[in-house]
Amino acid sequence: MSLKAENLSKIYGSGLLGGGKCIFRDVSFELEPGKTFGLMGPSGEGKSTLGRIIAGLESPTAGAIHFKGSPLSGMKKAEYATFRRRVQMMFQDPTDAFNPGKRIEHSVSEVLKLLDTPGTERIRRTKEMLKTTGLPEEVLARYPAQLSGGQLQRLALGRILLLEPEYIVLDEPTSALDVSVQAQILHLLKKVQDEQGIGYLLISHDEAVVRFMSDSLGMLENGKLDVIEA
Amino acid sequence: MMQEEAYVRESTIQESTIQGNTIRKNIIQENARQWKGFLAHNINLDIRRYERNLKRFNRGGLFLFTFFLILALLPVLFAPYSPTERFMPYEAPSTAHLLGTNDIGNDILSELVYGARISMMVGFASACISTLIGLMIGLFSGYFRGTLDELLMGFTDVVLIIPKIPLIIILGAFLRPSIWTLILVLGLLSWESIARVVRSKTLQIREAGYVKSARCMGFSSVHIMASDIFPNLFHVLLPKFMLATASAMISEASLSFLGLGDISMKSWGIMLSFAFSRGGFIRDMWWWYLPPGICITLCVMSIALIGFGFEGKEKENGKRGVDAE
Repeated sequence: MSLKAENLSKIYGSGLLGGGKCIFRDVSFELEPGKTFGLMGPSGEGKSTLGRIIAGLESPTAGAIHFKGSPLSGMKKAEYATFRRRVQMMFQDPTDAFNPGKRIEHSVSEVLKLLDTPGTERIRRTKEMLKTTGLPEEVLARYPAQLSGGQLQRLALGRILLLEPEYIVLDEPTSALDVSVQAQILHLLKKVQDEQGIGYLLISHDEAVVRFMSDSLGMLENGKLDVIEA
Repeated sequence: MMQEEAYVRESTIQESTIQGNTIRKNIIQENARQWKGFLAHNINLDIRRYERNLKRFNRGGLFLFTFFLILALLPVLFAPYSPTERFMPYEAPSTAHLLGTNDIGNDILSELVYGARISMMVGFASACISTLIGLMIGLFSGYFRGTLDELLMGFTDVVLIIPKIPLIIILGAFLRPSIWTLILVLGLLSWESIARVVRSKTLQIREAGYVKSARCMGFSSVHIMASDIFPNLFHVLLPKFMLATASAMISEASLSFLGLGDISMKSWGIMLSFAFSRGGFIRDMWWWYLPPGICITLCVMSIALIGFGFEGKEKENGKRGVDAE
């Protein structure tokens, strides 16, 4: 039932002539349902790249991702579609998380349409999502530019939750927010994890945030991952 | 006593000289300050006036374009006669024929009004084709990147270096001269700059968080391109479309003037060509060759001004960091 990274390596610019830049090598760890794996490390060490690889948005140069025992590279179309919905990623900048030209309602209902949810059910689930994230219904009629960073980050999480994910890669989810809003988002993430048993890969610079959230902790430095607390 | 008086007088003169100098210095400083203020004020006014003029030009372009569009859509309202109706040939301007008649006795004003439709149709139709091709190539190239990007951009570079007018002349000579051939040829050979602009904007948008989120959620590439990327390309496409229209109108006029247009559909370019080949220039019939030339210039200028206006707005939005809306 876990999401496993096995000997992942990423080399940029590796071609026929060689001479690429190695970002990280032989990185292995495991995400478990209802648990958080915290990933720390200096800037430019490839934390976000590793996050994108885990979320299936980028391919590793070597190594494999195993979702429920099957390797990602050998998955059939239906299996990959399941992986695509079950493993989600939440990005750093909440102001960039929604299409600026569309109302929030459109961006949310689009996800439910993707899941073939009927009309009445869509309204119920949207209301439920707003309740979970603690947002008023008025936000649906707004454009992203009319909402605050905290509200947008809650909505980004809410929209992901509509897909009923099993794992979420959180790429510095609070670094663009002020301290009071940071705390609210972290508590919301904790609450959602307790209720739905979602496994998180939390990428952050902030040691306090990582220690508050994580069950195990890894440091990505000099291209290697050291699991410092399990 | 006398010495004392002389000393006092001298010191008074000295004091008054110093005072005078200070006052003069203050006056000079004050004048400089005033001049500075005046210049700054005037420079500011000039900048404001320049901006106002630019907006006025755009508005002027829109007004002119609307006029030509109405002319093209409802020629019956403006043309005194049918463009094929015949009168006495080579007539000079009169109350009956405001711009006289041509070599076969057609009313030139009526030809001019009906010609707007043909010229604008060629411009817009070929711009539609080139915009569509440019959009597709730029979008696919920028979104998928990799080998497809390299292939498509390589092809774009090849098309970019082909000299257009000579190729169009060769094609026009080999293919049957028709307005549709002209539209197709102009449309198929003028999409490269659109493709390049669309590609660079797509590359920028595909890295936005909302596109990454959509990919992560499992939306198809077609859905992402249509729903998330295309609407945000609209404001770069519109000025390009307008400028492509203007450029196609000029090409059409040039080709028609060279005798490669469709003579059964009289555009402004064909009118010019006929004026040249059928005695308009020799007889110095300015009312035959000047009006279509002026119309081509004004119509192309109006479209280009609108295009520049949109481009300016896009640049302003870029400076403010506005991505859409």
